[in-house]
Amino acid sequence: MAEAIQKKLKAEVEKYALMQKDVSKSVSARQKLETQLAENNIVKEELDLLDSSNIVFKLIGPVLVKQDLDEAKATVAKRLEYINGEIQRYETLLKDFEKKSEQQREILTSLQQDFQKAQGLAAGKV
Amino acid sequence: MANKGNTDLEDLGGVVRLREENQKVVKNCESQIQHWKKVLDDYEALRDRLRTLPDQLCYEIMVPFGSLAFMPGKLVHTNEVTVLLGDNWFAKCSAKQAQKIVEHRMKHVGNQLDDVTKTMKNFEARVGFAKELETMSANKGDYVDIREEVGNNDSAITKGKQRIAHKPNSKPKMDVVFDLKEQDEEDEGKSGDTGSRKGIISEEELWARLDELERLEELQDEQDRFSDNAEVNGEESSSSSEEEKETDAAPPVNGSSLKPSWSSVPHGVQPLTDRKREEEDGSCLPTIFFSHMVEPKKVRINTGKNTTLKFSERKEQKENSKRKKKNGHSNGPSHHELHRITTPADIYRLFVDVKNGEPIPRKSILKSRSRENSVCSDTSESSAADFEERRMIGRSFSHDELTHSDTSDGITEEDSPTAVPLQTPSRFEAFSGLVVEKDPMPSGVPHLTIVPPALPTILERKQEEVAPDVPPPEQAPKRVSKFKAARLQQK
Repeated sequence: MAEAIQKKLKAEVEKYALMQKDVSKSVSARQKLETQLAENNIVKEELDLLDSSNIVFKLIGPVLVKQDLDEAKATVAKRLEYINGEIQRYETLLKDFEKKSEQQREILTSLQQDFQKAQGLAAGKV
Repeated sequence: MANKGNTDLEDLGGVVRLREENQKVVKNCESQIQHWKKVLDDYEALRDRLRTLPDQLCYEIMVPFGSLAFMPGKLVHTNEVTVLLGDNWFAKCSAKQAQKIVEHRMKHVGNQLDDVTKTMKNFEARVGFAKELETMSANKGDYVDIREEVGNNDSAITKGKQRIAHKPNSKPKMDVVFDLKEQDEEDEGKSGDTGSRKGIISEEELWARLDELERLEELQDEQDRFSDNAEVNGEESSSSSEEEKETDAAPPVNGSSLKPSWSSVPHGVQPLTDRKREEEDGSCLPTIFFSHMVEPKKVRINTGKNTTLKFSERKEQKENSKRKKKNGHSNGPSHHELHRITTPADIYRLFVDVKNGEPIPRKSILKSRSRENSVCSDTSESSAADFEERRMIGRSFSHDELTHSDTSDGITEEDSPTAVPLQTPSRFEAFSGLVVEKDPMPSGVPHLTIVPPALPTILERKQEEVAPDVPPPEQAPKRVSKFKAARLQQK
């Protein structure tokens, strides 16, 4: 009885570990997006500061490509929106993962209790 | 003290961990602050450089060549600066524009720095709190945490036993008072009501007492009357004598005492005497007596004997309720016997239907002719029927008690049909328990022969009674007529 519970416990622990990984992945991705968001905000603001006399380049690989200011501004704006959307998506994912991990945690605790009881019984018997 | 020490250590451990975690956060914040400060400084320098750069048209500088060499060179187009805006975006700007960008960035960095410093301060406060908690739990600081260990069942706290909270309105012990309660139940006149009787008993008891006394008087009068008119048949001579005995014995006893005092049924006598005693004692035990409520109407079986069976409404109900309760009871004290069927009267007492508040005796199973003088009529003839009833009941009771049939009993049993409650339109609540007894009526008497000793029989009879309810009433009167004729002749 105790062994069975132990095996179950191990399986559940593994599941929980996987869930935690997912959670952490989503968290890190969200953080990256956050930084990108901040950066793009700054770029947008600085582009606003510039006027048409300034030439804007975009670094694509090793090449600096000339860009139109307005185009650049639009591009940056689009990128910002895209980043915001990505952040939202990742937030929902994160919530789901959190819930799942919570459930898993509960299962784990209950199993642990059972295991301890079984252990106690076994110890008593022995 | 050891326990306390352990708890302290545990608490200390937790507090220490808290403090450590908080300190980590604080350190992290500090490093971040440093980083941002550095950035800020760099931007400051850059700004300065940008300010001075356009002063000259070109500068001679030592250009870094790889990581280890420098080359003399000239810095031209001092006003043209390519600014990295972020996210792989570049913009060629003048120095001044670049300055603007730099200032903008510096603003941003300053904001970041402020946030980090705020968090650091927050966590520093937490660290301080954790430190204080640590010192307190260790009882080192000025403030001491007062604690008192609670021991479960360490010592006897309360004197005496621990009381169990009883549910409200829970019934206390019933056994001791059981018998008495039965009596009380009788008095209350409730049919099958086993609810709380206590409050109601007293009042009901009083009323019952009054009724009892009234009926007693009536009974006595009737008994006196009937003893004069007692008819004796050849076959029923013994029974008549018994009837006389019974009538003599009856008056002092309440109606339930209508049990013939058979010599063969010593037990039957007992209830009689007991009832007597009960009656005499009066005050404490309620007794059942049969008497008509308003007018003395007698229900009797026309067996040629004048017997009166009087019932009181209440008593009927009481008996019914009692019987329902104690169907399996045997040989209890005298007041238990009310449920027992010792006389034929008891049977009819038992099986009384309560309709419209009045207990109406069940219809007799006898043929109509035998019912002429019984039940409804208020004649002396009915008394005979009553007596027969009582006899039957007594016999059945004897069966119940002794589980054997006496020869004398056997005869009468065959004759008298049991459970033939007649419908008394009159006020007799009593039982119409008419046992219509006809001498040679083997057909109508399957019931009594069936009488098994146990109480269940009564129930069976009850069921049987219910069945033949309809046909008998009309048959009874016809049957009665025979005996009536005989009686008339005898008279």
